[in-house]
Order: sequence, then C-alpha cells, then structure tokens
Amino acid sequence: MNAADNMPRLPLAGVRIADFTWIGAGSYTTKILADFGADVVKIESSGRIDTLRDARPFKDGVRGVNRSGYFADRNSSKRSITLDLKHPQGQELVRRLIAGSDVVSNNFTPGVMERFGLGYEAVRAIRPDIVYLAMSMAGQTGPEAQYLGYGLTMGAVTGLQGLCGLPEREPAGTGTNYPDHVPNPSHAAFAVLAALRHRRRTGQGQCIDLAQIEPTVSLLGPALLDFTANGRVANRSGNDHVAAAPHGVYPTQGTDRWIALGAETQEAWRALVEVLQAPALQADPRFGTPAARWQHRAALDAALAPLTAGHEGYALMQALQARGVPAGVVQDASDVLLRDPQLAARGHWVYLDHPEMGRSVYNALPVALSRTPSRPHRPAPLLGQHTDEVLAERLGLDADAIAALRADGALS
Amino acid sequence: MYDFAKFTSKSSHNMDMETSTAPAAPTGAAMPGGAGAAPASPAALAGLRVLDLCGGYEQYAGKLFAQLGAEVILVEPVDGSRIRREGPFLHDRPHREHSLAFAYFNQGKRGICVDLDTADGQALLRRLAAGADLLISGEAGGVMQARGLGAEAFRAVQPGLVTTNISLFGETGPYAHYQGDDLVAMALGGLLYLGGYPGQAPTVAHGQQGVLAAAQFAAVAALVAVWDVEGQPPGAREGQHLDVSVQESVAMALENSAQFVELENTVRKRDAGGQRQAGTGVFACRDGLVYLMAGGIASNRFWAGTVQWLVEEGAPGAASLGEPQWNDASYLATDEAKRIFMDVFAPFAATRTKAELYAEGQRRRLPICPVSTVADLPQSRQLQHRGYFGNSTAHPFSGSAFAIPGAPYGLSATPWQAGRPAPRLGEHTSEVLAALGVDVGEQAVLLRAGAIA
Repeated sequence: MNAADNMPRLPLAGVRIADFTWIGAGSYTTKILADFGADVVKIESSGRIDTLRDARPFKDGVRGVNRSGYFADRNSSKRSITLDLKHPQGQELVRRLIAGSDVVSNNFTPGVMERFGLGYEAVRAIRPDIVYLAMSMAGQTGPEAQYLGYGLTMGAVTGLQGLCGLPEREPAGTGTNYPDHVPNPSHAAFAVLAALRHRRRTGQGQCIDLAQIEPTVSLLGPALLDFTANGRVANRSGNDHVAAAPHGVYPTQGTDRWIALGAETQEAWRALVEVLQAPALQADPRFGTPAARWQHRAALDAALAPLTAGHEGYALMQALQARGVPAGVVQDASDVLLRDPQLAARGHWVYLDHPEMGRSVYNALPVALSRTPSRPHRPAPLLGQHTDEVLAERLGLDADAIAALRADGALS
Repeated sequence: MYDFAKFTSKSSHNMDMETSTAPAAPTGAAMPGGAGAAPASPAALAGLRVLDLCGGYEQYAGKLFAQLGAEVILVEPVDGSRIRREGPFLHDRPHREHSLAFAYFNQGKRGICVDLDTADGQALLRRLAAGADLLISGEAGGVMQARGLGAEAFRAVQPGLVTTNISLFGETGPYAHYQGDDLVAMALGGLLYLGGYPGQAPTVAHGQQGVLAAAQFAAVAALVAVWDVEGQPPGAREGQHLDVSVQESVAMALENSAQFVELENTVRKRDAGGQRQAGTGVFACRDGLVYLMAGGIASNRFWAGTVQWLVEEGAPGAASLGEPQWNDASYLATDEAKRIFMDVFAPFAATRTKAELYAEGQRRRLPICPVSTVADLPQSRQLQHRGYFGNSTAHPFSGSAFAIPGAPYGLSATPWQAGRPAPRLGEHTSEVLAALGVDVGEQAVLLRAGAIA
C-alpha cells in the first residue's frame, strides 16, 4: 500500500504536470511539486533513458535502471510512463496527455522539444492556457542559447565556484552540482506556482524561460554589488566571511573531524575559554575585546586549534551550546543520515518501499506545514511503471487498446 | 485593518537625504537608473500582501515575492535589520544605510520600523497582519510566540493568513534552541564537509548559501500554502503555519551523499584541488580558469569529443587519450589517468583564453565553461542578451546608482519587475501607519516611546 492512501489532501492536489525533465535541476523541480501533491507524470522513453537512472549509487552496488539512489531521490512522488515520441501514436498520446495537463516542463537545450513537435507554440495550440516551463542552461534565445552544462559547470560559470575555497588554492566550489539542488529547482518551482496563480485569476497561461545560469548569480547579489558599486572583484576567503573572531572551523578528536563555532560577544568568548579550560586566553590582551580579537584573529585561530583538537566534537558542541555559544559538528553524510537527532526528530529522512530497491531513503521537503503536511508519498517510479495506469485513467484507454499500442511500439 | 491596496499605486522614493516622509509620488514616475518604471504587464502575484519580518539573508524570500508583484512590507526593528550591519558596504563606508546586502535583498519592498518587543509594537503588527496574506519571519522557535505573535495570535483577526518562519534548525526537536549562523547550519547539515580540499579544514560555500537555501524553499512552500488558501471559498479560508529549517534545506543539497551511505556504505569526501576524475575539474588557461566536464554524469559521453578536439588542434599526446582504457570509468579515477590528461590538456589550455575555450568547446557540444569572476558576469554576452544586468538601482541615501542582478527567470505574461529601491530606515513607517488608521498624534507618541522609527 502506498503511503499516499493515508495522506490528507495535499496542497497541490489537482495540479497535473506533463514532465519531460531529466537528470538534475528539472527533476528536482518537479520532485518539489510532486511532494506537495501535484500529479507529475514523468514522460520517459526506453530509447532515451534519464542518465541519472544509470548513475551511482545503486542498490547493493548493482547497476540497473531502477536501482539508482541518485535518480530515486530526485523523482519521489512521481509516476512514469514510457512513450515513443517518434511513433505517430506515441505523438498522439502525448498530445492528449498535454491537453489534460496544467503544466508542461522540460530542461532540454532549445530546439529539442520543438523537434518533438512540443515547443511552446505547439503546446499552446493543444492547451491554450498551459504553463510551459523551459529551463535550459542559457535560456531560449541569445548567442549561447545552445550551450550545455551540468550543475558543476553552472556553478563555475555563475561565479559561485570561484568564490568558494582558499584564496591561494584553486577554487573548491561546494563539491557538488549545487545549482541543480537549490537555486534552479526552487526558482523554477516558484515561477511555476506564480504562473499557476496568474492563470487561476485570469485564465491566461504563459511560457517560463528559466536560464539555469541566472538563479545562482542572483544568490551572489552582495558580491556582485561590491563589484558594480565599489569596483571590488571578490576572491575566495576560506571560512573568513564574518567580521568577527573567533569564527570558523576547528579540528576535534579523530580523523578529519571538525567543529564550526563562533564567539562574537564577550559572553560567548568567556564561555568558550571556560569550556576549553584556557585561562591564558582569557587573560591575553590580544583577545580582550571583539576588535582586538579581530585584529589578532590569525593568532587566535592558531591558539584555539590545539585546544579544540583535544575534545570530542559532539561533546564540545553540547558543552558550548549549553553556554549559548554557536557551535556545530561538521557532519558527514553518515552523521547526517544516521546519527543526527534533530533531523530524526524533524522526520527529514523518509523511507519508502520501492518495488526493486526495497525500503530506501528520500529527502523530505525542509518545511513542516501545520495543516497540509507534505512529504514524499510514493517511491521513485520504475521506468514506465505507470504507463497502463495513466493511459487508462487520463485517456480512458482499455487494456486491449493499450496492448495494441504496446504491440505497435508506441509505448517503448 | 491595514488596507494594502490603498498604496499599491503610490511610493515615496525621493532622492534627497533629509527626510523619509516626502509626499507620495506615482509609481510610474521615472526612477533614476530606470528602476521602478510602471509595469506595463500584469503581475503574477498582484494583490498579494506580505509582511517580511526577516533580518538577514532570509529576506531573499520576500524579494522573490516582491519582484513578481506582491506588496511586501519589510518590518525592521527600530535600529534596523541586522543585515544593515553586514557588508559589503557602499563605498567601503560601514553605515546602516550603506549595506549592499540590505540594498540587494530588499529591492522592491517598502520598509517600516516597529519594535516587536514592545506591547504597542506587537499590537501594531497584529493590526497589520489582519490585512495580510503572508507573514515571513526568521526567529528561533518560541520567539514569535513569546511576543504574542505566534501563528495562533492571528487566527482570530485573519484566519486565512499563512505564517512562515525560517530558523536554523526548525522550531521543534532537540536542537531547536541551538545558537548558530549559516556556518553552523552548513556544518550540521552536511554540505560544509563536502567543500574544500582533502587534508585541510573544509571550506563553506560563499555567501550564506544555507540561509539562502532556506529562504528559497520557504518562498516556494509559502506560495504553495497561498495557492491552497486562495483555492478555498472566500469567507471560509484557512491559512496555516510553515516551519522551515535551514539545516534541512542544506541537507537537500547533499546530492547523492545520503544514498551513497545507505546503498553502497560509502561516505563521500571533499575533493577540490584536483580532478574529480580525469578530464573533469578546474584547469588553468591563458587568462584564468575553466571548468571541463569531459566525463558528464554517469558516463563518459563527452570523452570522445574532448579527445577529438585536442587531436584536431594538434595537442601533443592527444591521440593516446583515445585508447580503450579511457572508456573505463575506474581508469579515469586513477592518479595516472589524471596526470596523463593534465599533461595533454594543460599546455593546450595555457595558450587559449577562457572565452575561446568556452566558445570552441561548446561549439563541439562539450560541457566546458569559464570559472567566472564577478567581473566577468556583467560582460557575459548571454546575460547581456537577456538583459540580466539591464537594471540599475538607485541608492536614495547616497544618491548613487549601480547595476544590480535582474530577473532570475523570464515569465512571458507576467514579467519580473525590479521595483523600488530598498527602503531607507523607517522610510514608509508613517504612511503605512496612517493607512492603518494610526493618527499623527498616536504616531508621535509611538515614535517618542521608541516603539516605531
């Protein structure tokens, strides 16, 4: 039984999305909408498989199109159908599905949907009030419209990569395809919701042209303004982002274990040196006031590191937090998934029973809604798992008609 | 009840430095630098009334609403949002009217100053909320309740109100009252561990990306909740409370790390400072750095194209990269493969600019791009084509104007709009209170008492 059967009505129930997105940012966008209750039908093709279906990690390390955890987390709460869009009947089916949809989404480079006969104008002819989300890397027009990229390259071209890391080393970035996970999906989802609201008020649909290079730049506004207003080209600055000391990442007991902490106020500073049992620091005039600590922050960091290194990280975090000092263990993915009591208490990790992967983990939305709790409610779909179900429910096709379509190759 | 609609066609962004209570002028009046021109198109979020109580980068959520057409009022403490004390500062002069972060995150909003720790200030906020659709706050769990401003406080006056609170760890759970900031939440959320170089302390993402992630997810969730409320029959609308966690928002960005732990019992490590696999990573070129991803995701589908490029351009040693072992992902992960690729690619890139490598690599359908600096972005011909930096914002306090990032998305029927410059401290307090029915005598009392500014 699906968890969906026991859920209260979700806030986006009734919103139907014909979803052509794949890989990263597009799929994460429609995951958000699906977890909130939209009926997202992921339109796939066995001839052009979402490459994330073939991306590690795999259940038990065994490769297979229905075994990728990377794919699964990005596709919770969706249904999957397979259609051959080059088959005349596949074309007919997809057009009928679109006619009954509120949103059509894709993250191809411009021209791909047009080659399927599914560009904005063509879709609008099928469904005049459609909300059409196109989220290519560089936008629908312009000298670089055909350029392609992934989250890693988009992190670089937007400036984020170059601003992360140590100034004397090559840029470190976030270590992930960051634009795929936060800026692009959240901006795309916000734009879709705004367009749906406009449609509900006016009956008018529209085309959303989200260039995946833009939202990440928009998150760097202060650094951009420092350039456009002050002429400064910001560089990497490690963890030195806050005009206060101490503030940073310090070693703790164990291999590659660290704690993030800050002690800006006099109270926090006194508490820190007491917890670290370092009266010499307390008495040191170089560290007596916020301004003095800032001036001598390199010496301060050098003095603190050997002290923190003698403590177990979680114990130190708890001792500091008990005194009101900001502190947090630098947790790795194992800590975050298996050890963190806060994420556990919040129910952040949701376990769903996947037909092939078994019980497996998904990110829940990072928000608790009081009246319409919204969480992943279906595991990621198997490739084409819901083809028959969707064709019957949406298009009224019976088993014989579906079998005929399948025999003819329209559903591959 | 405050009538937001009364002011939808008014503003008071005067340029003089004397007063913040000049007579209102029509929004259509031309703004210095072109910002704030009358919208020719309808706005997607027209008619939506938002109170933004956030004090830091959480203010990005309200900005998203404002620039699609919602009426957003920023409610600051009487000494200003704390972000006013964060740099960078205009002309490198730290001052609460010079914060460029404040100027950026509050474009499109009006601003009032109310002390929510006073009974009078709390009463004012309840009256404002009675005419609002959405309230966004950024307080630790319990703070709003202690002020008598928790979600339940508004139910009687505006049952359809959506309240959204952004806090580091959420309002429930054992860490609900933990102290911290972006760095601490990035640490406990797991993304900090993935940033930086092996063997050294991890380095956090630039620019409070954890708090910004929460702001973005909060905006999406809040608009979902508004959609839900507006779908209910008028007169019987029921809002709700949204509790957004920065730590959880950070956990959304862990890519496949949690699944690697669960499915393959592998803990992903940070890996900057070298190639992730041969052909993927940061490489130096003639005038800076490029990022090349010859491996793609889950396959090495761009390898052959990369090798063909290097061969056609006569890069010494390029032909050897076409040998069969390079099709094996496990070989690409070896130090030997990374070294050999670097020996071929580094001299090739060293004679070419990042713009040349970007253009030619992309012509060949390869995922390569410059590692941009902030100076490169306004020069991007694609961003120029899209008019991304076409907006200039006035800075009324200083009289300056400067280019500011523009629309993060194009909406054909309801375009993004820059809106007014960020408010000066208390710029709209009087006009908002007047519209709320607070007469000048009462305003004077509140000002003198320090409940407003």
